[in-house]
Formats: sequence, structure tokens, C-alpha cells
Amino acid sequence: MEVGQLQRRLVDYTKSLLTEGILDDQFTQLQKLQDEGNPGFLVEVVSLFFEDSEKLLNDITRALDQQSVDFKMVDAHVHQLKGSSSSMGAQKLKNACVTFRSFCDEQSMEGCLKSLQLVKQEYYDVKNKVETLFKMEKQIVAAGGSVPKTE
Amino acid sequence: MNETHPECCECTPLPSTPMDTPLRNVLDRISGFATPWRRQSGPAPRGRRIFHRDVERQDHQFQYGTAHCLSSYYSVFVARLAIMVMLAILIGLLTILTWHFTRIYTTKSLNSLAYGLRNELLQRPISRMWNIINSTTEITTAQLKLSEYVFRRYNKPATQAEQVEQLYEVMRDITWALFASRKALNAITINYKNGFVQAFHRDHRSNNTFYIYSDLTNYSISAGGSNEINLLSSHQSWKDQSIHGNISAIWYQEPLDPVTGEKIGKAKPIPPDDLIKIAGLSQVPDGVASWHVAVSKYTDSPLLSAALPVWDPSNESIVAVVGVTTALYSVGQLMKELVEVHSGHIYLTSKEGYLLATSTNAPLLTNTTKGPKLMMAVDSEEKVIKMGARWLQGAYGNNFSQRHEIHAENARLGQEQYFIDSFFLKLKRLPLVGVIIIPRKNIMGKVDERAFKTLVILISASLCILFIGCICIFILTNGVSKEMKLRAELISHLDARRRAEASSNYKSQFLANMSHELRTPMAAVIGLLDILISDDCLTNEQFSTVTQIRKCSTALLRLLNNILDLSKVESGKLVLEETEFDLGRELEGLVDMFSVQCINHNVETVLDLSDNMPKIVRGDSARVVQIFANLISNSLKFTTSGHIIIRGWCENSNSSFDIGKFPLNQKKSRPAHKTKLKEQGSHTKKACKQDNRMTLRFEVDDTGCGIDPSKWESVFESFEQADPSTTRTHGGTGLGLCIVRTLVNKMGGEIKVAKKDGPGTLMQLYLLLTTPVDGTEQHCQVDFSKQNLVVLLALRGRMGRLIMSQWLHKIGLFTVEASEWNELTQILRELFRIRSSVYNNGFDAQFSLSEPLSTKVMNIKDMRNPAFIILVDIGLLDLSTDIWKEQLNFLDSYFGKARFAWMLSHDTPNAIKMELRRKGHMLMVNMPLYKEKMIHILEAVIKERNLEGQKKSSNTLRTTKEGDLHEYLEIDATQFDVASSDDSDISEIGSSNSVSGSQTGEKRRERLRKPGSSGYQAINNCLVELTRVYSEENYSTERDPCHVRLNSHDVQNEEPKCCTRASLSSEAQSESSEQHLVISCPTAQGNIYSSKAANEQKSLEGVRILLAEDNPVLQRVASIMLEKLGATVFAVGDGLQAVDALNCILGAEDCIRESIFEDRNTRTQTEIKDFPSYDLILMDCQMPKMDGYEATEIIRKSEAGTGLHIPIVALTAHAMSSDEAKCLEVGMDAYLTKPIDYKLMVSTILSLTKRTA
Repeated sequence: MEVGQLQRRLVDYTKSLLTEGILDDQFTQLQKLQDEGNPGFLVEVVSLFFEDSEKLLNDITRALDQQSVDFKMVDAHVHQLKGSSSSMGAQKLKNACVTFRSFCDEQSMEGCLKSLQLVKQEYYDVKNKVETLFKMEKQIVAAGGSVPKTE
Repeated sequence: MNETHPECCECTPLPSTPMDTPLRNVLDRISGFATPWRRQSGPAPRGRRIFHRDVERQDHQFQYGTAHCLSSYYSVFVARLAIMVMLAILIGLLTILTWHFTRIYTTKSLNSLAYGLRNELLQRPISRMWNIINSTTEITTAQLKLSEYVFRRYNKPATQAEQVEQLYEVMRDITWALFASRKALNAITINYKNGFVQAFHRDHRSNNTFYIYSDLTNYSISAGGSNEINLLSSHQSWKDQSIHGNISAIWYQEPLDPVTGEKIGKAKPIPPDDLIKIAGLSQVPDGVASWHVAVSKYTDSPLLSAALPVWDPSNESIVAVVGVTTALYSVGQLMKELVEVHSGHIYLTSKEGYLLATSTNAPLLTNTTKGPKLMMAVDSEEKVIKMGARWLQGAYGNNFSQRHEIHAENARLGQEQYFIDSFFLKLKRLPLVGVIIIPRKNIMGKVDERAFKTLVILISASLCILFIGCICIFILTNGVSKEMKLRAELISHLDARRRAEASSNYKSQFLANMSHELRTPMAAVIGLLDILISDDCLTNEQFSTVTQIRKCSTALLRLLNNILDLSKVESGKLVLEETEFDLGRELEGLVDMFSVQCINHNVETVLDLSDNMPKIVRGDSARVVQIFANLISNSLKFTTSGHIIIRGWCENSNSSFDIGKFPLNQKKSRPAHKTKLKEQGSHTKKACKQDNRMTLRFEVDDTGCGIDPSKWESVFESFEQADPSTTRTHGGTGLGLCIVRTLVNKMGGEIKVAKKDGPGTLMQLYLLLTTPVDGTEQHCQVDFSKQNLVVLLALRGRMGRLIMSQWLHKIGLFTVEASEWNELTQILRELFRIRSSVYNNGFDAQFSLSEPLSTKVMNIKDMRNPAFIILVDIGLLDLSTDIWKEQLNFLDSYFGKARFAWMLSHDTPNAIKMELRRKGHMLMVNMPLYKEKMIHILEAVIKERNLEGQKKSSNTLRTTKEGDLHEYLEIDATQFDVASSDDSDISEIGSSNSVSGSQTGEKRRERLRKPGSSGYQAINNCLVELTRVYSEENYSTERDPCHVRLNSHDVQNEEPKCCTRASLSSEAQSESSEQHLVISCPTAQGNIYSSKAANEQKSLEGVRILLAEDNPVLQRVASIMLEKLGATVFAVGDGLQAVDALNCILGAEDCIRESIFEDRNTRTQTEIKDFPSYDLILMDCQMPKMDGYEATEIIRKSEAGTGLHIPIVALTAHAMSSDEAKCLEVGMDAYLTKPIDYKLMVSTILSLTKRTA
């Protein structure tokens, strides 16, 4: 009973994430890749992503703090972040990165800072959401149910 | 008009340079209006700044241009103003000059005239005066001379007393004579020295004449004589007192008859000097004649009196004084007369300024207590004279008379202006001054008036001329300013054009950037749909829906690619591929695709390809398909009913002119073709000889609304539509035909709209395509003509039926046509009357067959053992009611005697299909029918017949099987190609892989052979094909072919296969080889997503992949993906590591092999030995330290000479073809876009790894 509810909640939640555009199909693909053979795959990838992203965000912040901003470097970092977020399926974050890159091209300090804020916001957003997702999954597992496949 | 232009144009730049400050200021101010706008536009769209940069530069240029334009505007304005001012000055000068000359000359001449006039006027009274004076003088002289004579005569002392008496008498007579002779005389007086006075006086007022004399009695002659003598002797004693002494004397006045001098009245005494003034000695003190002006009591005019002494004969003493008085009255009279004519005033004054005569009636004398006195001119009662005198006095002082003449023209007296002239008359002792005052307006009045009028007229005329001139100038210069405006417009147009160009640049960039962003989600959508399709739990409805969605998605993706294409074509970057493809298949696939739409539109789509069409051609299949897709969709859009025929034939083959093959209405347009073909014949033939080039001609013929001949050319322009209203009714951008023409031209062909009989449009085009040297041979075709086949075409579509039956005739088959149900039943009855014993009455409608048909039927009846194939259009059945079931039952009766093949449409209800299947009608194909499908049907029928034969004879198993399998092969290949044309994304890789496809298949076969035993060499070929196809397409996962058939109408081409297979399997269950085939097919259908069978899942089993990806997330994802597919993945972080890893392997292969061995214990040593260390490298393009391109170059360099070639697949986030080109340039073998498309990756990797193996 409870498991069923939890499962439904999880499915709904995942769906909402997809419809809101925070995550996209790439994420579901990742989910699909996870099976009995490698049960912790998604968590692994996601934590990798978080680690990587945080490092990148720090790098970007640092780079933008400097006197003479090396926009190429910032751009490279953002590109990386974009790549990893698109691989993760964090769509909104990826879009924010795309905007960020355009500002980098323009060498617009103001725009970059704004975008950085946006990117960070999106990042924490997606992080929270995904962590919540995982928490829910864990709850389900703890409750003795199996994580329902999306779709 | 035109002449003014160059001048103005020339002058425009000139003033702008020297007129620095003022004009510049104005211009600055004007261009200042533009700057706020510029400032506004500057920071607005920040996001697009990059693209804006060069545009801003252009903006700057425009600003300059606008400023320039404005400056020329202003210079035009200035020039115009200058010309106007010059005109104004000119006209003003002219006016002034005219005025001046007319004025001055008239004034001068008038002045001289007036002067003469005035002179004349004055001269006359003066001459009168002179006359008067003269006459007075004459009279006086005459009197004097007479007196002297008389005195001499009577001056005899002897006769004193008498003599005195006589003397006086004589004197009286003489004097009277003189007096009477001169009427003008006022008085003549004689004053003797003894005091005796004789005087004649004439009173002009009363017209009386008097004789005045003193009392003689008081004077004794003696006394008088003595007195006289005394007086005479003592000259000095003659003094005034003696005269005064006479005052006491009594004078008498005697009136006289003025004419005769007779006394008419009594003399009466008067006081002396009362009436007249008698000139006495006092008046001639020096003994010479004297003149003076006197006044008298009784006359109101001054009198001019002259006095002369009368000397005695001895000339020693004065005997008497003769005085003559003349009134100046007549002078005044004359003046009045003159003035009456000429107006104005004339007056004469004495030297001292006493008025002597005026032209007025004003009194000349003043009555003082002492009696009347002369008046000064300045005191005159006449105002004008008074003022004139004063003016003269004021202007010239008191001694003005000393000057001879004064002429003043503009003396202002009172309110008016006068001419004043004075003349000095120099009389002895009595100088006179004459003054004439004439009002100026009398003489100059008219002149002045005229002058004023002239001035007014002149000024108004000049103003008019100025005004007209200005207007003329304005009109003239308007042309210039128009030109300026045009220039400004031109500049703005240029501006707009550059903007448009810039925006088109943006568009391209935007498209380039967007392609990636758009394709990524599209790929995801398609991928997800694939997953969905592969899912088991879908209902049929859902499955078909999902399949539909997938089709739409691929269509959308294709659309995206098309947009990219257009931008590519526009920028001239389109490069056509050169790969081999089956043109016929592509077109069939297209027709299949569009037929769905056609049926909706109630339009029949017919594909009519000549047999001489080469099967395999080299070229860009996607583009060719695009051309036809555009043309067909275009035709479809405008065709509401009728048909669309796609004809194709090969040019350099004579059989293409086989008229019988073409529909009848085509015959007429044929000659036109021929002439055109002849023209091109020469060089196409040459080309053909060289590299096997073919001119393929096509026609797309529809029965739509047609295109107006005037628009035949313009429809191929960008954004052009034949009728503007079409956008409203049909939508579309008008890009389609533009792309088509560009592509056709690119392929060395031409496209045009041709004339057509009847409604609709006929598009003709030809393409130059090369055929592979070995590809010209036609695929082995079963010779149907020997099979004794009779085909009954029961099809609704007229064109399709016609063309099909013609073709069947051509290949030697009998055909019978039916277009409706009744006809069909009739023919069936005819055909099977003899053979059939079953006669169903249900549809008994006795039609008598037409003559040709019946003869045909008779012919067929004559045939020996014919096999009947009945092609029934599902549309012939009455589907609206339940009659179709009865109809089917009716057909059932012929089931044993003929083969039924059903033409289904895409929306045929499942119930019908089920029913058909239940009844054993296994041959079903989807509309439309074309040659290839017909061939399949025929082959299936023949095969079936053969199988039946086999059942009986039970031998020749293998040959039959060959045939069967061959058919499978064909159908599957069709499916593949159709699918690839649907999905151009895949087609790129698909077609590039098609060469390697067989190799891949070969490789797979090796593995697939494992489950089966080693026996069936013959089947292998078939399997190879199937495996390849299914691994790339992932369409059917179903084991049951029937199920597939039920599922979709989209997987149309699968159906014939499935049907045949089903029929085969049902009818030839016992065949073990058949059995194997059925089983092995699904096995080969390795679906990646479905985890049903292990060997399906692990499609990449044993493939060793080096993954160079810096992004940890992607690295992880990709490796998991690949590992799940059974591949072995080695991940490195950048290009450098990748190169190192490879070098390590190349250098010390064994060592690495060991490690790999340890790593993946599933691998056997022998397997490792068979392969190089890595089968494939997945290389991210953008990596730190060393990017993918560099790494690839290094790897390729190091490989050089070793004969090794590790396939490298690029992974890039950019989806542009330029990236692809770059990847391929540096030596990569393939190209995958991020995020990784599962299916695409697998197929790519497979194709590459198998090739190298």
C-alpha cells in the first residue's frame, strides 16, 4: 500500500521534472541503462556530475573574479558544464549554459555574471530535485518496493 | 530641367567644404537627431551583440551616408536660396534703374520746361511794365519837348500878359492832346515856376476826366511873371516852400468830356494836391528826369509818376516841371490774366520790397493815418505772396533782389510746394523785382502722380517677377531635390539591403546554431519512440500511433535538415554525395509515403518507371528523393482529384520511346520530347561513353489546378507561388520548387513546367547520374511470360490500372481489367464458367461483357493451364455496410482457382484484414501498386505454384528455396531503402554504410551461424541481408510475422514479405529449411533495447572501444551504454591520453593484451589475437590538452606505414556538416553527435568494426 503510493509519487515526480524541462529524455535513458548489472550507475553518474559541476562552477567563479577575465577559459569551462549537463539530461542547466556561452562570446562581463547566477541557480535546483528523487527511490527500496521504471 | 542638374550637383559639394562652421553646425544638429536613435539601438539586444558587430560598423557607414545626404539637401537649399536672392537683387536693380532714368529725365526736361514757362510768364508783365514805363517816358518827353517849344515861342517879354494867357491856353491844348492820346495815363501835370498848375486827371474808377488848374486871379501875370522871372532868375530860390506857399492857392476842378475835352461841368474849387499829386520842382532837384512810385487817395493802385523839368530856351533855368502819372493797374490786370491761365501768383516789388503789382485782388496799399502807403510784400494780405516773400527773405536775406535771378523749385509754403522764381528788372532809378510763385502741383502735379503710379507699377511688377522667378527656381531646383530624395532613398535601400543581408547572415548562423539544439531533442524523441516501439506491452492502436509519431518525428528532423540544406544551397556549400543507391526503390518508397496522403485527397498516385531505368545509380539519394518529394507534395497540394503520375525513363535507351508503355494521353507530348532529346542527344551520348553517365528523364504529371504559363518560370524563384492566394488556401512558403531547381541544376539537370493537354501541371526534369559500371545489368528477373499467368486487375484507379496493364502486357502477361465490383464479378463468371461448377447467385447481375473484353476472355480460356492472379482493390468492396462479407464469400468460391492479392489502403479496418486472413488471403499489399510490388506478387504466386508442384513431386527443393529467398531479399532491401529515405539522418550513414553493409553482414553471419548447424549455405545470403536490415532499423521485434502485419500500416513494405512468409510457412510447414528461416529471422532481428535474448542485447559483444572523453559524466554514460551492449570500454580523459594509450598498445602489444585479458576475462586469448588492441576509438572533439582532431591526426600519422587503421568515431556537440567535414578531414571515420543516439552509435560502431575485422 505504502510502497505503491511512494512509487506513484516517484513516477509523478519524475514526470513533473520531465515536463518542467528540468530533466529531459537523456536522464530517462540513463535511468534505463541502470539495471541489475550495475545498480548504482545512475547515482554514480549523478554524483560524478555534481562533483564535476561544482568544480567547474568554482573554476568559473574564480575566473570571473579575476581582474582581467579570460573569457576563453570561462567559455571552455562552461562548455564542459554544458556537455556534462546535457549528458546528464539536466536540460535547464544546459540551456543556461548555452546562454552563458553566448555572453562569453560577447565578452560581456555583466551578462556572464548574470548567467553564472542563473547557472548556479539551475544547478542547485537540479541537484535538489535529483537528490529528492534519489531519496524517494531509497525510501521505496527501504519500504521493500522496487523502483518503478518510468514510462 | 536637366541642365540645371549638373550645375546644382556641382555646386553641392563645393559649398559644403568651405562653409565649415555654419553648415556643419546645422548638419550636426540634424544628424544629432539620428544619434539618440543610434544610442537607443546600441545596448538594446545584448544577447545578439556578437552578430551585431559588423552590422554596427555598417550602421556607421550609413550614418555617414545619411549625413552626406543631408548635407547635400542643405546645399540644395542654400543654392536655391542664393539663386533667389540673386534674382531678387537683379530685379530690384532693374526696377531702381528704370525708375531713376524715367524719373530723372522727365523731371529734368519738365524742370527746364517749367523754367521757361515761368520765365515767360514773368517776362510778360515785366515787358508790360516796361511798356508802361516807356510810354510814360515817351509822353513825358513829348510833353517836355512841346512845353519847351511852347515856352520858347511865348517867352517874349513884350507880350507878357497876353502871352501868358496864350501860353497857358496852348499848354492846355497840347497837354490835352497828349493826355487824350494816352488813355492809360492817369494824369499829366504841368507846374509852372510861378506856381500855376495845369493838370489833366483821369479817374479810371468813375471814368471821369478832370482838368485841374490853379486860380489865375491870384497870380498876376506880372506878379506871376516877376515871380516867374524871379524864380527863374534865382534858380536856387525854387524851393518847396514856394509850392507849399501855393497851398493856400485855390485849385479848380473842371470835369471834361473824356473824348472831346469840352467842359461839361462847372469848375469847383478843390484843395491843392487833394486829388492828385502835382509833380513840382522838388521832384527834379538835379534837373534830370526822375521816377518814383506814388500813391493817391483815390486810386487803390500805386502810381508810377515821372517828372521832367522843362528848361527855358536858354537852358539855364527850369520853367516848369512836367509830370506824368501812370497807374500800374494794367500791370496787375495783365498778371491776373496770366495767372488765370496758369494759376499761381505773380507780383512785382520795388527794390525796397514794396509791392507794385500782384496777380491778386489784394490791396496794395495800406491806409495809415497819414494816408495810403505802399505795402511791403511781406505784409501782403495775400497769404501766398506773403509767405513767398518771407521765404525769399528767409532764404536769401533782405538783399535778395541784388541777385539777378532766383529759381527755387521746392519752396514749401504752408501745406504745398511751390516753384518760386524772381527776376530782377534793372530800370534806371526804379529797379523792379518780379516774383512768380507757382504751385508745384500745377506743373509737376501730373508728373508726380505719374511718377508715383509708375513707381507703384514698377514695384508691383518687379515683385511679381520676383515671385514668379522664385517659383520657377523652386520648380527647377525641385528636380534636383527630387534627385536628392532618390539618392536618400537609394541609400536607405542600400541600408535595408545590407540589413537584410546581415539578417540573412544571422539566419544562417542561427540555423547553424539551432540545428544542434533542435536535432538533439529530435534525436531523443526518435530514440524514445524506438524504445516505445520495442516495448511489448503496447496495444496495436498504440503501436500504430507511436509508429506514426516516429514517422512524423523523422519527417520533422528531415525538415530541419532541409532548412539547413537550403541555407547550404544558398551559400553554395552544398556538396552532393556520390553513393550508389537504388533509384527505383527510393521512388517507390516516396510513392508509398505519399499515397497515404493521396488517398485522403482522393488522388491516385502512380509510379511509372520504364524498365530501362538503371537499377543502381550513383548520386545523392537523399537529394534525389528530396526533389521528388517536393514535386509530389507540391502536386498533391494542388490536386484535389484525379491522379499524379511520376514517369521516369532513361534517355539514351531507345526503348524509352516505347509508346505503348506510356499512357495514351502522353503520346501527344511525345514529339516535343523527341526534338528536345535530339538536341541534347549529341553531348549526352558523349558523356555516357566517358563515365557511364545517364540522362534520366522524369515527369511529374498531375491533374491539379495547373500553373498559369506566365508563371512557369517564376514558380522556381524563392518564395514565389503561382497564385498569391495559394498561401492562404494551401499554406507553404514557396521554397519547395526553389530547392528543387537548385538541386536539379546541381545534378546537371534542368526542370521546367511543360505544356499539357487538359488540366493540371506537367513538370519535366532530367538528371545526369552516373551508373556504376557493373551496376547496369538488370537484376535477374523471372521470365513471367512463360508462366502462363493471367492477371485480373480489379483496381479503382484508372491511371494506375492502365499503366499496370500496359506493363504486364509488355512483359508478356494477359491482363483483364475491371474497375468496379460488378465488372469483376462478370469477368470472374466468364472466366470460370467452364471450370466452375459453383455458381453463386448472390451477386447475380447479368452484364454482357463488352466485345474486346469477351475476346480477351476467350483468349484466356484458350490458354493451357493458366494461373490466375486476381488483384482486388479493397476499395471495390462495399465497406460502408456489411455487404463486403458477402462479397468476400463470393470471391471465396474462386479461391481455389485463382490467387487473390489484395490491395489495401492504409486505413483499411483491421476487421477486414482479419477476415481476409481468416479466409486464407495471404497476399496483401498496400496501395499504391507499382511494378516492384507487382513483381513480388507474381513471384509469390509462381513460387506458391511451384511449392504446390513440389508437394507433389517433392524434389527440386533447393532451387525453389533459392527463389523464395531471393524474394525475401528483395523485399527486405526495399524496406531498408524506404526507411532510409524516410529518415535522412540515418540515410547518410545508411548509404555510406551500404558498401560496408555486406561486409558487416558477413561478419555477423559468422557469429549467427553458431546457433544453427553448418548446413544451409544457401540461406546465408538471405540472413546476411536480413540481419543487417533489422539491426539498423529496429522495426519489428515481433516473432509472429502475422502480428506485425496486423500492427501497422506504416510498415507497409514489410507486409508483402510477411504475408508471403506466412503463407509459405503455413503451406510448407514440413520443410525444415523453411522452419529454420522463420526462426532465424527474428533471431537476427537484434533489437538493442529489448532485453529478451542475450545475443540480441550484446550486439557489440567483444568490441573493444577506447573512449576519449573529458567530461566525466558523459564518459561514464557512454561507457555504461557501450558496456551494456557488451563492448569493452577503456576510458581516457583527453586526446593525449588516448594517443598514449594507443602508442602503448602499438609498441608493446603483448603487455597490453595481458592487461586486457585480465580486465575482461570473458575474452579468450585467441580472440584478442585476432583483433588489434582496440577495435574502435570514440573521440570527443573538444578536450583539454589535446583535442580530438589533433589526437586523430597524430594517431593517423603513427599508423602510417603499419597498415593498421583504427576506426575513429568523432563525438561532437556540433551538428553542422562543416564539423563533420572537419572530422572526416583529419581522418576520422564517422561522426556522432551529442547527446549520443543509442541506435545510431551502435550501427556506426558495428559498421566500422566489422569492416576492419
